[in-house]
Amino acid sequence: MRIQESMTLYEKLNILTDAAKYDVACTSSGTSRKNDGTGMGSCEQSGICHSFSADGRCISLLKILFTNECIYDCKYCVNRRSNDVVRTSFTPDEVCMLTMEFYRRNYIEGLFLSSGILKSPDYTMELIYATLYKLRRECNFQGYIHVKAIPGANQELIQRVGFLADRMSVNLELPTAESLKMLAPHKTRKKILTPMRLVQTRMTENKQEIQLYRNAPRFVPAGQSTQMIIGATPETDYQIMQVAESLYQKFELKRVFYSAFVHVNEDSALPAKTDEGPPLLREHRLYQADWLLRYYHFQAGELLSEENPNFNVLFDPKCNWALKHLEQFPVEINRADYKMLLRVPGIGYKSAVRIVKARRLGSLDFQDLKKIGVVLKRALYFITCSGKMMYPTKIEEDYITRNLLDSGEKLPKEITNMGYRQLSLFDDVRFRENFYESSYENHICM
Amino acid sequence: MRAVMKTIYVCSDTVTGIFSGIYDAWKAGMTEEECGIALKGMLEQQLFCDYVEVEETEHKAIAVEALIKKHLGRQAYWDIYHAVLSSDREKGDAVLGTMLAAKTLPDSTKIMEHLSHPKVEKVFELSRNVGGEAHALKGFLRFRELENGVLYARITPKAQVLTCLAPHFADRLPLENWMIHDKTHDMFVVHEAGKKWVLLWDELWNDMDGNLQFSEKEMEYERLWKGFCHTIAIESRENPRCQLQHLPLRFRPNMVEFDEKS
Repeated sequence: MRIQESMTLYEKLNILTDAAKYDVACTSSGTSRKNDGTGMGSCEQSGICHSFSADGRCISLLKILFTNECIYDCKYCVNRRSNDVVRTSFTPDEVCMLTMEFYRRNYIEGLFLSSGILKSPDYTMELIYATLYKLRRECNFQGYIHVKAIPGANQELIQRVGFLADRMSVNLELPTAESLKMLAPHKTRKKILTPMRLVQTRMTENKQEIQLYRNAPRFVPAGQSTQMIIGATPETDYQIMQVAESLYQKFELKRVFYSAFVHVNEDSALPAKTDEGPPLLREHRLYQADWLLRYYHFQAGELLSEENPNFNVLFDPKCNWALKHLEQFPVEINRADYKMLLRVPGIGYKSAVRIVKARRLGSLDFQDLKKIGVVLKRALYFITCSGKMMYPTKIEEDYITRNLLDSGEKLPKEITNMGYRQLSLFDDVRFRENFYESSYENHICM
Repeated sequence: MRAVMKTIYVCSDTVTGIFSGIYDAWKAGMTEEECGIALKGMLEQQLFCDYVEVEETEHKAIAVEALIKKHLGRQAYWDIYHAVLSSDREKGDAVLGTMLAAKTLPDSTKIMEHLSHPKVEKVFELSRNVGGEAHALKGFLRFRELENGVLYARITPKAQVLTCLAPHFADRLPLENWMIHDKTHDMFVVHEAGKKWVLLWDELWNDMDGNLQFSEKEMEYERLWKGFCHTIAIESRENPRCQLQHLPLRFRPNMVEFDEKS
């Protein structure tokens, strides 16, 4: 291990940004806070994106590690102790200065602080606490802070950090306990779930405290999130969605983030390196399905099953569901209930609300739907307006599939460029390029 | 049958101007077919129209604001206000048409849900665009520190979004001296530490950004920020198209991280 003593702030920032970039979740949403007039910063409920990097991901927070030194040896991680990389650490003062000066210039919405494990979980958590304390109490920073809770750290410490942060997350790392054992030998599922449960319990208690005393300090007001790596281990999409669903239900998480596995280390326990790059399409489908769980009242079991455990590469999960449930269509726009409208491909949750409101003032036709924001070229196979379909179409899986693919249902470049063509099933499909963001989930903030 | 002469109220492209025009039209009690609002400098002369210059006053603007808030509700006012800031030349007509349409509803506070009405739909669309641009600029705007410690930002928006941005930054940076310069519309918002922000129109100042002196620290932080933006991207996920979709080119000339120099 190399430790350089004298390093400029520029070099440190470079190293500790580089080490943090694989962390997902750069969101600054979930809480709203006005400035009290004595410091700097505020929070917007919707979150604000300040820039976009060359990979198209949003830059909202100053996402850095406190240190990239680490006592653990997780096989997928660039900072594992057996890797020979330059190691460095910030001081709490440096983190505060960077955050304040970047924030003043409106570069960022706040700080995302993660860390390698220096000496011990407790020691590291102490350092993080010292940094946040300084930032909140001495610099009077009132912007957004997302911080990692470190598994194995003292509970009392985690709680104290939670009162300074807006969002906390504990990395699930991998979808199942077996995978964790294989790739992260120093971590266990239990150790990861313990702080997650602690944050959940404390949040519930805090809600009651705030009801009693309006000015009680707030504990993790923007909620808790987690992330897991996709594609490093053999889980199916179905298994992953079930894990996500139970995290939402049992741990009341605000968000689950999925991170396509990026090959940074050579290790026999990891999948062999190929030219295909990270499984971005798979990650995208998981985010779409995740959206369906949180906003569209779907359940994991409706989208996938033991027999059919992976998402369709050609269609987003909602469209795929609709094609398999044609008996429930077509849906009459002027009568169907809100939940059913949500299930129509091409209708997002915002347009569904607008439809429900607008139809009270008069019946809607296809032109009105267009204005409301419905993507008609997808929806037209599944809806009627006052009993009429837009064009005469058959309600038949093959027919609709063919038409959707023909009518500019654009495909991700992963499909156009690579081996999916081998499957004889898709031989007659006309492939089109790039659709990455065209679906109902227009802006996935990762 | 007699051709109906249409009365067009001509006003300046400001909130006060357009609301004054609406005030006059509303007072005259005409229907949508009989009146319209046009903007100075964007006028297309038509036959069978009377063009009336509007006398613009704060009083009229405040009266219209109160009228909308009272009868159409705060949410509708939000939409209408944003629509009035847009760069669309027919925005005045759309707002007036929406207000007239609201009169025909049993509950006029529901007017913005009446999206099958063309004028309402227009206001909705304009408001969504302006709101979107203002929201984007809350993130994409960049302050640079001048020699005297004042934070200076330059923007070139399509719509007149300064009044949407000012409250946001005033809340966020209450103890800083800052100013935002809207180069498209020759407007400024100036905020002095601990005080309320003010909106200024001044063409004389408009060439000021050529001879601004930045602080020493400024260059250092810009370098750190550029380095951060470069490093945070994952090479194997590179996707300029996705980047372009979320961050259109027109915002980039005013953002330090897209400044090719140094």
